[in-house]
Amino acid sequence: MSLNREVINVDCETVFNTLYDAVIVGTGVAGAIVAKELSQQGKRVLILEATVEKDFTLAGFQSYVETFYGAVEKNPNSPYPTNPNVQSPTNYQDYFVEQGPMTLSGSYTRVLGGTTLHWEAKTPRMLREDFKLYKTYGQGLDWPISYDDIEPYYRKAEYELGVCGDVDEQKKLGVEFAPGYVFPMKKLPPSYLDQKVSEKVEGTQVKLYDQDYTIRFSTFPQARNGEPNPDYDHGNGFVPHGVTTVHPVQYGERCQGNANCVPICPVQAKYDARRTLGKAFETGRVHVLYQAVAYKVEHNSENGHVTAIHYKHYKNQNSGEYTIGTARGTLYVLATNAIENARLLLGSELLNTSGMIGRHLMDHPFTLAWALMPEVTGTMRGPLVTSGIGTFRKGKFRRNQSAFAVDIHNDGWGWATGSPKGELEDAVDNKHKYGQELRQTLISRVSRQLLLAFMCELLPEYSNRVTIDPNYKDKLGNYRPVINFNLPDYSRRTLAYTRKVSRVIFERLGAEDFTHYDSRDPAYFVFENEGYVYKGGNHFSGTHIMGTTNKNSVVDTYLRCWDHQNLFLVGAGSMPTIGSSNTTLTIAALSFRVAEEMLRELNSISPNLQPATLPAR
Amino acid sequence: MIDINSPEFEYFLNLSVVLTGFSRFHLQGTGVAHLYFETIRDILGEELFGELLNIFHGLELEKTEQSIFSDRLRSEILASEKFGPITRNIIKVWYMATWYALPLSWRDVFGTKEKDRTFIISPQAYPEGLLWTAIGVNPPGAKGPGYGTWSEPPLVSLNQG
Amino acid sequence: MTTIANDLRLIKTVDNLKNYLIAAMKIEHATIPPYMTALYSIKPGTNLEAFHIIRGVAVEEMLHLTLVANVYNAVGGTFEPNTALLAPDFIPKYPSYLPTGSTDFQVGLGKFSQETVETFRKIERSQHVKEDEPLVASRALEEYLFDIIGYQPNRSFYTIGLFYTEIIRGLFALDKEYQQKGENLFCGDPKRQITPEYYYNGGGDIIPVTDIDSAIRALTVIQEQGEGSTNDRIFDAERELAHDYRFQQILLGQYYVIDKDDPTTKSDQPNQPTGKHFTVDWDSVYPIKENAALSDYPDGSEVRQAALDFQSAYSEFLTKIQYSFDGHPEHLIPAVGGMFRLKEQANTLMRNPIPGTPGVNAAPIFRIDQPSLS
Repeated sequence: MSLNREVINVDCETVFNTLYDAVIVGTGVAGAIVAKELSQQGKRVLILEATVEKDFTLAGFQSYVETFYGAVEKNPNSPYPTNPNVQSPTNYQDYFVEQGPMTLSGSYTRVLGGTTLHWEAKTPRMLREDFKLYKTYGQGLDWPISYDDIEPYYRKAEYELGVCGDVDEQKKLGVEFAPGYVFPMKKLPPSYLDQKVSEKVEGTQVKLYDQDYTIRFSTFPQARNGEPNPDYDHGNGFVPHGVTTVHPVQYGERCQGNANCVPICPVQAKYDARRTLGKAFETGRVHVLYQAVAYKVEHNSENGHVTAIHYKHYKNQNSGEYTIGTARGTLYVLATNAIENARLLLGSELLNTSGMIGRHLMDHPFTLAWALMPEVTGTMRGPLVTSGIGTFRKGKFRRNQSAFAVDIHNDGWGWATGSPKGELEDAVDNKHKYGQELRQTLISRVSRQLLLAFMCELLPEYSNRVTIDPNYKDKLGNYRPVINFNLPDYSRRTLAYTRKVSRVIFERLGAEDFTHYDSRDPAYFVFENEGYVYKGGNHFSGTHIMGTTNKNSVVDTYLRCWDHQNLFLVGAGSMPTIGSSNTTLTIAALSFRVAEEMLRELNSISPNLQPATLPAR
Repeated sequence: MIDINSPEFEYFLNLSVVLTGFSRFHLQGTGVAHLYFETIRDILGEELFGELLNIFHGLELEKTEQSIFSDRLRSEILASEKFGPITRNIIKVWYMATWYALPLSWRDVFGTKEKDRTFIISPQAYPEGLLWTAIGVNPPGAKGPGYGTWSEPPLVSLNQG
Repeated sequence: MTTIANDLRLIKTVDNLKNYLIAAMKIEHATIPPYMTALYSIKPGTNLEAFHIIRGVAVEEMLHLTLVANVYNAVGGTFEPNTALLAPDFIPKYPSYLPTGSTDFQVGLGKFSQETVETFRKIERSQHVKEDEPLVASRALEEYLFDIIGYQPNRSFYTIGLFYTEIIRGLFALDKEYQQKGENLFCGDPKRQITPEYYYNGGGDIIPVTDIDSAIRALTVIQEQGEGSTNDRIFDAERELAHDYRFQQILLGQYYVIDKDDPTTKSDQPNQPTGKHFTVDWDSVYPIKENAALSDYPDGSEVRQAALDFQSAYSEFLTKIQYSFDGHPEHLIPAVGGMFRLKEQANTLMRNPIPGTPGVNAAPIFRIDQPSLS
């Protein structure tokens, strides 16, 4: 990467005086990919970023790491600065206006690079049948595109994110690949804990709606630097991104097992969107305006075309004072996230022919089950998750209840109980241990921990939605998301079923079950006389779904708004269903596809403008 | 004045060895022993901290048999209304680099200390927490042990003697 | 074609060549304990830029070691017990002249300081000699020369780069000789090669060596990463900043700028960096014993035991590296993983005062464990 990075951050006046090929809102993975693809093809791009500027230097990143070290509560946003003007549900408990009946809760990060800064980086593809759930099982919605349409873009996404994984393992789970394809890097080695669990559990048979299912373990594809696969790209191999020495601009080790993927990988082995942003900035054709919070997408009521994005520009994050500015381009992209996109669309009083903006809000609810292994298996070693069970991602049971994927957590009970902090407090304050006995107590209580996390599919429900309400605004006077959320029985049945599975697994392992669901938890629910607690998965999606017409969807297959033909809504909000796959890889794949469509359109408007002839600045 | 050059620092290290189950070498090897000593002194005040350290030093001087020493450590320090919460805090400082605000019940009797609040002693102290060493792992987010090491058996076991 | 250079060359047989390559591994490694010692003496949370600059160079030295091993394996080299990396004299006794035979400066194990960084610059200095001139200057016999340059004890190399130039000349000539005889100089089993998937972060590409071209490429990477491509440029063939200038950045507290699109005309000139400034805090360093030896630590002390433990761990590290070079490339990554633990052990030592020596902290010892002692 060039050391001479173009000065790319601009002021409001420059923005006002420039007509861009594309104006993008947001610097997360979706916005970054679109910005990179367009700018590399000679297009001039503006990105509006709500937060303050953050340099790409090692020192800049290290300041995140140190903030994390110094945080008493090490939550997913603990490394990243809070910004009262740009709130997120993690840092501001009341940012979501939750209107029930159940809580969505959740977490995202509004910093440069978005939530990929704190994501865990699992990158499973969706299955073929996930794209036609209604046709196959009479549930949910069908996508207007098929697996075959998106498959080439999955490959691009796996390259961009730098995915490690094992294609043969994925094939056994029903994922399809192009002939001869391998992931850019080899799979991450399974943890010792994985090995011990699968030793006893692999091959266990369970029955679900008269079908037999065999529990099988496999590693997760992950966007984390590992061992490059020499067979990648027909034997040309792969060079991991973020690998260079001289200048600490782009730094990315091979995973060292820091056991801290969420909230921050200290050696940047994990992909985050800054890598892609860096490539976009290198072109010299990208402007970024920081501290610019988009609040209104303006359109021409005659032809529906978007004519401007209006933003509020604050000088000081601790003051709600701001000035107003305008950005104009040929094409516009909203790439904030499913919830923020919905909030902005609704607040802009855009056309909403389908009435679906903000609706079909989805997430992956999780249930957790935790136990102590009979022997020390080692906790808090390696990436947070290396292996899991993919058996229940597909099957006829999907007529009756949702699919789910299972993680073995290498980091112990932390997600469920706050371990190991709680174990230390308990050992010292209640068990009155000190010295050698304290050490032994901790080994016994921490190093035997096993946590299973069950990630369940949630279908697009019309009534699960983001809305806005003039009574609820943030410090800059922008709408806060008002959330209506419920779990249908289709998902509850599976959340309850996962408890059966965890009991079978713990029994096989001879593990002592410590799972406990607190009835005072706002996410507590009762299903068929047993109580459960779910955890939000932070995979917010589905608020502007794609479909075949302007009646059944908000965007078309290229994520182009039916009602506003030069507006593209990028991100998981466009996904009609999410299966049992973490959403980022699919977001990335769709972003590549959108960028291609945008390039086609821009090139048809000014076909003579070839990339090579465009000056770089 | 008690500081890192006064005998109390030595008493602090010795007390810490007993409380944590780690050797002096290991405690010094964290690089934060001075910092902890000074931070705790600044929270508690010289008088209170010095009193605790000198009581402990007295126990050490009078030590004959391990079991009697352990009993006196319990009764005179760990179970002391005044020093119990402080010593438990010292353990947590070493294990988690965190000073916990003293319990309300303690403050009701012994008064509120101005600097007594729950905080991480310093960002660089966090990776030196003994909790991680005790369970044979790196502190999450620091000192990564290297690619693939997580596939090997754990470094700790129970009842290792 | 007979050239003057050909007559001047020192490597005339494959055995000569192998000796030179073993010496090359020794040279590459010899810089690692000094770099590691300086690196780990920096207090955590300080000198971030300096830390990463030194670390980056140290990682590249590991790459260089690996590249030499690849050439060595390619020409049929083998690793017998207690030879090569495990030979009793593989690790110099610091302070030491570099195993090139250059005697105008010594390298030691010291804390991060201006003086130390100046020495690092000398290690990586560059000097270029025309093709038709000898690479070694005649000078007095020095301690290192015997086993290094193939029994021609009255010669030494001014720089590491020149030492490699000698090897390259030898390789070309031998390859030609073998071809004329209808034989293959590169008779090693390709499976013994370390391949690119074992990359080190930022250490550049690992080049598997199977023929003269790949051998030359591997050795050129070593030369250029060290010293840049020519005297008046700060960057190497991969447009990365040469080691010498990387270290100079620490002394100047400022980064050099290389324009990767137009490196020749738009990059900084030597001694005139224009990049970002950064802070170097020479005081945030542990006051460690220089060139520590076991005898510096009192009998029965924890410090002594820890120093011994470090020595064993370092021996084990070299043992594993050698094992991976000796036909088990898949063991390289776990072996390098051992370095992470070495760092923690070294840090613990460096934070502990040596009993009876107030104000002087312990430091790790880099020796090969002698089997009879363990």
